Amino acid sequence: MREYLNIFFVILRRDLILAFRNKAELINPLMFFVIVIVLFPLAFGSDSALLKQLTSGIIWVTALLATCLSLETIFRSDFEDGSIEQFSLSRYPLTLLVSAKILAHWMTFSIPLIVIALFTGIVLSLSSQTISALFITLLLGTPVLSLIGAITVALTIGLRGGMLLSLLILPLYMPILIFSMLAIQNAAVGQSITAELYFLAGILVLAITLAPIATAAALRIRLS
Amino acid sequence: MSKFNVNNLECIRRDNILFQNLNFDLEDGGLLQIDGVNGSGKSSLLQMCAGLIQATEGEVRWNGEDINDCRYQFQSDIRYFGHTNGVKAGLTALENMHVMYALSGAKTAIDYSFVLKQIGLEGMEDILVSRMSAGQKRRVGLSRFFMSGSSLWLLDEPFNALDKDGKIIIEQLIVNHCREGGMVIFATHQSIEIESYPLQHVHLGQHNQTTHHA
Repeated sequence: MREYLNIFFVILRRDLILAFRNKAELINPLMFFVIVIVLFPLAFGSDSALLKQLTSGIIWVTALLATCLSLETIFRSDFEDGSIEQFSLSRYPLTLLVSAKILAHWMTFSIPLIVIALFTGIVLSLSSQTISALFITLLLGTPVLSLIGAITVALTIGLRGGMLLSLLILPLYMPILIFSMLAIQNAAVGQSITAELYFLAGILVLAITLAPIATAAALRIRLS
Repeated sequence: MSKFNVNNLECIRRDNILFQNLNFDLEDGGLLQIDGVNGSGKSSLLQMCAGLIQATEGEVRWNGEDINDCRYQFQSDIRYFGHTNGVKAGLTALENMHVMYALSGAKTAIDYSFVLKQIGLEGMEDILVSRMSAGQKRRVGLSRFFMSGSSLWLLDEPFNALDKDGKIIIEQLIVNHCREGGMVIFATHQSIEIESYPLQHVHLGQHNQTTHHA
């Protein structure tokens, strides 16, 4: 058990170091996130009532798109330089090593994304209930995005064409978007959002349990 | 006492039979060289031996058990080195070695600077691998073989990109491992002379492979 925890943290640390050394890859999807959100007030006028209604939805949809962009690179270099080969032939379960990589992705991409989302929510004058609902749904939803995304990336790795990835991932993200937006809309009118949060939490638990296994299996298929 | 057997192995790639009915056995201290022209299936054979790809026919056995039935034990006992070095360009030599060491599952402590000295990269601990030459990257990748904890080594073209000194270091490493009772299977198209140790050969190509003891 201790040995497994140790290797988990070794891989996590490795990926965090790599992410912070490659700043362009880290920052570009986040910049994309910010810029797309900023485009909407420019298009609709910053004080329109329509925009106020749309803001939380815009933030969520843009978060999905930015996640798609950032996920593309999660396994690419590891696949090209033979690291995945070494992972899959090590004595440790590939599932465990892949989990560490996904956690590293969530920590380096989604945590800054959540912070930026809250900040833009405040700037675009969302109500405090809406902002707290946005925060909780992003906190529960973004790990699922990383986990489900990782499976798809593993399946399409080495194939040409980044569009394919988005086409495969975005439909799988729909449930998360639906429950999150329901929660935010309910929060905006002062209703309870417990049911939606339970659903999101349920999906998260399911994804944490199954997605690393599926990702590891997909990587093994790509290797052979 | 460990045993590695390849029974009746067949490899088909793009409707071409690369090899068929391939058999060889390896016991403690065994050293086997796979040679053949480009595209004759050397890498495929090594990948099959490592269990990375499944053979279309035949089986690979470790201590008498099919490797697919004893994956944990088998993967604890082997170390594979492919065309790619398996090192991260964005990490330093030392950070790469930390990861390799952790993945190897070796229990004994290791002196990293001593390993670097042995592999000919003395004092390069903190240099990013991306700034190294092709041969130096290869050496960083090969440093995983200086960490104990595996008996069967599978090396695919280990001498690629290495200079004369590098080749001697790796030849020495291989021979020493066999002397200590380990097993090594390596593939190369280069003519190398390991004269100090009895070598088994597998020739691939035109699917008339032969096995003989030198």
